[in-house]
Amino acid sequence: MIDAPPQTESKLEVKGVSVRYINKRTGAETIALDDASFSVGSGEFVCIVGPSGCGKTTLLNCLDGLRPVSGGRILVDGRPVSGPGPDRAMVFQSPSLMPWRTVLKNVTYGLESQGVAASEASERAQKMIDLVGLSGFESYHPGELSGGMQQRVNLARALVIEPEVILLDEPFAALDAQTRELMQAELLRVWRVTKKTAVFITHQISEAVFLADRVIVLSSRPGRVKAIVDIDIPRPRTLEIKHDPLTNQLERHVESLIDSTLTAEQIFAAAGD
Amino acid sequence: MSVTQVNIPGIVAEEEAAERPAARRKIDRSERTRRIVRSAVSLVVGVLLWEAIARLVVHNDAFLAAPSAVAKRGWEMILNGELLSNTWVSMQELIYGFIIGAIAGIAIGAAMATWKSVSDYLEPWIAGLYAAPMIAFAPVVIIWFGVGIASKVAVVIMMVVFPMIINTQAGLESTDRRLLTVARAFCASGPRIFRTVSIPSAAPFIVAGMRLAVGRGLVGVVVGELFGSRAGLGNIITTASSVFDMPTLFVAVVTLAITGVVLTYLLRAVEMRLAAWREVA
Repeated sequence: MIDAPPQTESKLEVKGVSVRYINKRTGAETIALDDASFSVGSGEFVCIVGPSGCGKTTLLNCLDGLRPVSGGRILVDGRPVSGPGPDRAMVFQSPSLMPWRTVLKNVTYGLESQGVAASEASERAQKMIDLVGLSGFESYHPGELSGGMQQRVNLARALVIEPEVILLDEPFAALDAQTRELMQAELLRVWRVTKKTAVFITHQISEAVFLADRVIVLSSRPGRVKAIVDIDIPRPRTLEIKHDPLTNQLERHVESLIDSTLTAEQIFAAAGD
Repeated sequence: MSVTQVNIPGIVAEEEAAERPAARRKIDRSERTRRIVRSAVSLVVGVLLWEAIARLVVHNDAFLAAPSAVAKRGWEMILNGELLSNTWVSMQELIYGFIIGAIAGIAIGAAMATWKSVSDYLEPWIAGLYAAPMIAFAPVVIIWFGVGIASKVAVVIMMVVFPMIINTQAGLESTDRRLLTVARAFCASGPRIFRTVSIPSAAPFIVAGMRLAVGRGLVGVVVGELFGSRAGLGNIITTASSVFDMPTLFVAVVTLAITGVVLTYLLRAVEMRLAAWREVA
């Protein structure tokens, strides 16, 4: 599990990553991730699934550099990750838009931080707003948008900085079932245009199978890479393929790999989601 | 479940969401007109009642001046420049004290929100001094700084600084942690995070603090002037009351009331502008 065989095309490499944290009140140590290793190829779409509390979000935060790892290494294009950088962008679980900024200004936020000139930033943001289907809503404030539209802004804000890797933390979890499926199809459409490497976290198996080239299954806490499943459903995929027997067979296979026995702690964590 | 049709309900729901704010603004406008009319009716009735009581019940200018007498005296004071010059003195005291107090309050509040240790050191003093009636210190401040403008500025600062500290700190501490994470994830530097996330989050709190502070500052001006001054609206009040000149006294009081309303209204307008995104959120 230490070193995956060197892959020339791998964009993102996770090598033996562990994350431990200590509960300040009780002093107890929790191992959130234990010796997780995998790599993601350039332009590949990888979904990470696992039971609640298995450290999926922790892993994604480490990939973005928002949280330090306790052991192991994360490499993007061979360079170690030491903090947030312009080569990665996060699409957050809650849209987390700045309510005082318009849609356009929310999308330009990352570019402003990088010192991109205002006119160029607006131009690039406009293209991305068009791509995610929000043309005409540039001057709206987030409070005036539906949940699905807010997530589109969240996606555009990440894509506009043209990262090497886009990280998505259950971005559709709070949406109703219909909007969720629509957004999955939209995401694939946008991904095909931008050709970014994508790491997508979810606990919905059908979502993972529909989106991914490969599904990485994490075990329950401490999170370890339990299995990696190739999803060889041809692209481009439409929502119809969700009812395809091959899709359903893959869903059942992934489901069988996920730990179904939950500890009391995990049930409690799931209830708090 | 039909998958092919799935995009249609999704898009309809989104368009509905977008249309809501415009409709709400329309309702707001007619509601506002109704409220303005009610306020005006209330004011007119109140003034007429006051006039009637002064003319028909009290009959004594030394106890209660009728609005007509106050208006007449006010006009005279405007013509001879007395009202304007004294109002200007009071306004200067208020403006200087307010600006210094607000800047100091915002700075101290920001320091307390940023560094826990600063907050720990200052907390007991601020809790105590904010709760204490600061106005009780006014005579002491007059003794220290004399009867000129400086003493009144000092009183205003004392009145203004505490609500500003408390609101600034509360505003900064209420910043959505998720937005701070977003800013960090998009490589914003510390100062940029403060400027683009913390400050806008806290701005409505800070302006609300200013609205509170301006009222307290005005009280500070008048009380300071009552205890010792050469000019100002408070000075008019003391001088007029010592000779039972009710019309002059009321002119000063009415001027103060109008000033207070105008300043509060202005800050309220700023607040609405800053928090425009909140209305629909």
